[in-house]
Amino acid sequence: MLAPLIFFDYLTQSIIDWGIIMERKLKKYGLIFIAVAMILLALFMFYPVLYSFYLSLTSTKLGKTDFVWFANYKRILTDPLFWTSLKNTFVILLIQVPVMLFLALILATILNDKSIKFRGFFRTALFLPAVTSLIAYTILFKMLFSYTGLLNTTLMRINLISEPIEWMSNPITAKAVLIIAMIWRWTGYNMVFYLSGMQNISEDIYEAASIDGASKIKSFFMITLPLLKPMILFTTIMSTIGTLQLFDEPMNLSQGGVTAATIGPSNSLLTLSVYIYNLSFKYVPNFGYGATVAYVIVILIGILTLIQFRVGATDDEKEARKLKKQNRREKRRA
Amino acid sequence: MKKILLVISVIALSIGLFAACAKSTPDTATNTSGNQQKDSQQKDTEDQSSSSEKQKITVWAWDPNFNIAIMNEAASIYEAAHDNVEFEIVEMAKADVEQKLHTTLASKMTEGLPDIVLIEDYNSQKYLQSYPGSFADLTDKLNYNDFAPYKVELMTVDSKIYGIPFDSGVTGFFYRSDILAEAGYGAEDLNNITWDRLIEIGKDVKAKTGKAIISFDKSDGGLMRIMLNSSGLWYFDAEGNITVSNNEALKEAMETYKKILDADIIIPTAGWNEWVGAFNNGDAASVISGCWITGSVKAATDQSGKWAAAPVPRLNYTESKNASNLGGSSWYILDAAQNKDLAIDFMNEVFGGNVDFYQTILTNNGAVASYLPAIKGSAYSAADEFFGGQAVFADMGKWMNEIPSINYGLYTYEADSAIMANLEDYLSGSKTVEDALKDAEAQLKSQIQ
Repeated sequence: MLAPLIFFDYLTQSIIDWGIIMERKLKKYGLIFIAVAMILLALFMFYPVLYSFYLSLTSTKLGKTDFVWFANYKRILTDPLFWTSLKNTFVILLIQVPVMLFLALILATILNDKSIKFRGFFRTALFLPAVTSLIAYTILFKMLFSYTGLLNTTLMRINLISEPIEWMSNPITAKAVLIIAMIWRWTGYNMVFYLSGMQNISEDIYEAASIDGASKIKSFFMITLPLLKPMILFTTIMSTIGTLQLFDEPMNLSQGGVTAATIGPSNSLLTLSVYIYNLSFKYVPNFGYGATVAYVIVILIGILTLIQFRVGATDDEKEARKLKKQNRREKRRA
Repeated sequence: MKKILLVISVIALSIGLFAACAKSTPDTATNTSGNQQKDSQQKDTEDQSSSSEKQKITVWAWDPNFNIAIMNEAASIYEAAHDNVEFEIVEMAKADVEQKLHTTLASKMTEGLPDIVLIEDYNSQKYLQSYPGSFADLTDKLNYNDFAPYKVELMTVDSKIYGIPFDSGVTGFFYRSDILAEAGYGAEDLNNITWDRLIEIGKDVKAKTGKAIISFDKSDGGLMRIMLNSSGLWYFDAEGNITVSNNEALKEAMETYKKILDADIIIPTAGWNEWVGAFNNGDAASVISGCWITGSVKAATDQSGKWAAAPVPRLNYTESKNASNLGGSSWYILDAAQNKDLAIDFMNEVFGGNVDFYQTILTNNGAVASYLPAIKGSAYSAADEFFGGQAVFADMGKWMNEIPSINYGLYTYEADSAIMANLEDYLSGSKTVEDALKDAEAQLKSQIQ
């Protein structure tokens, strides 16, 4: 839900930029051209966003829709399945995103080293998972980790385990499989961002550092990391948003049961987005309550993004914010 | 020059966008027979020129090898007898059918709806009660005495009957007669047994042959539903009140799940493919499921003649019978359908009266119908070589009549999810069965408020 918002921000920004340039000459035409995009945006973006908020204030039961104000938001507080899905989503988020970004950073650093042979090949190989379909790779991982799957067979052959592990039947290992699969799928994707960021860091800085006697590790921490900060911030936010909206993978990992009552064993793969789907389409449909959960995701993403912006702010930005606060305080005093 | 180009391209783009919106053809679904599609396109253009044209019946369903194939068969029978009718049978994934139906009905638009739609039995009450007035009341249009009573019960709301009962999910205990004979069990020893007896047999079979008795997915609610349905109890009573923590059959079913797991007589599987694979490759000596599983059983052609079928095991619960149901679906006609009366006539003529049609679909698709006169037909009494010459379908017809009637109610999926999530905690030993049932009931209550 937020990805389009970011895109929209970008769009308005470019429209504004464009507008300033053309202001004098083409003001009239400009408005006309904007109108087309704006009408489309209003119709397919603003209206659904506002309408889904209205929906979140209603509740449907057996064909009757009532306006219930904030009763849905109250209901969420005592809904055990909502808390299960929230907990699952955050466990996945807190493990998967840091591990993946850390791996991506290491891989990018290694592949950025010009002395490594076949760099192009390794880059492509690591990025390839990012082009596979979400459904396909999920099914593949499900097969790999099945009771008689490749992994169990291999582990038994090399005598690491005496009996196959029931990966997908245990809440903890099922979640682990999901996280491993997601790391496989998304690490290369983030690595490419870091690589492009690293290519913008001048060789001179590293050279100067090495003359000053900095080791490779030291220059990684003192040069690469600080200069990559905006990129790291960007990937963190994008991954957080992506994980909070996680849907395809848990849905497909758990699907295909003879009747598939729970999403993963003990609902261990039930994420917020899957819960929204269930509320709207699997259970007795209550689109209003589903919209409420969707809005909770929006609020969560907003809060998390804000925190990440604060944490990831450059020293200048922090300084500026401090000054702003001081000014305000002084104004109040005066 | 550049600016002009820019302006032109923007205009072109926006026109393209509008055109794309206006021309929206939301059906991404595939039409099952290419010829039909061509026909209907031709017909569409003809429709505009003359009004005395063929009437079209649109059907939504899933599963090309089963529901779609059967509907095609039914359509060709009806088309042969009636000149002015044609069919558009749209194949979609089951989840897509449900999703489309939900969104269209909720939006109160009737335009995009088909004339006939397939709905799973566990879902039928949900649709009928969530969208009152959307489905055609067929109480006086069909002779419901001809259909299995338990199926008719599922489509009844306030003593009005809404659908056309279709395939039955009558359950059976399908086993490898060769493996069980090796362990010393003949057909008589497996007839009308209890689940406890099955576990004993399973231990014996494991000890003597090393084979697991069944493949088993502990997070799957299939067996749970079989056990419950055989007892005539469900997660709800006839009035729709939750019956979870006070449900004797449910408690015994959960305990049976644990016993089965503790006895170490199964192959644990996750998901459909593994589950089927385990009995196809001979690792599991039997499968307990709805009759529709016979298609997958027979997929292992090398095992022909080595299978047999017995009634499904029962619980110790006194009301429990050796007959149950798992799955199955039925056809429903939309009340707002353009050709509602025609659709009703079609259903009445083929699904509600053509015994030969039911023999064809049994032979071709393995569809066990809930249309009772059909069970006396030739295909049902035929001996099945795969099952060692046993007339399995005639047996299933017998079992079908004994399935206890229950009303699944609106919330089967909510209940299933609550119970299976808590069952896991009971199986792992972190909760007693009473606590698990209590927690499940609490979760269910909060879900259906």
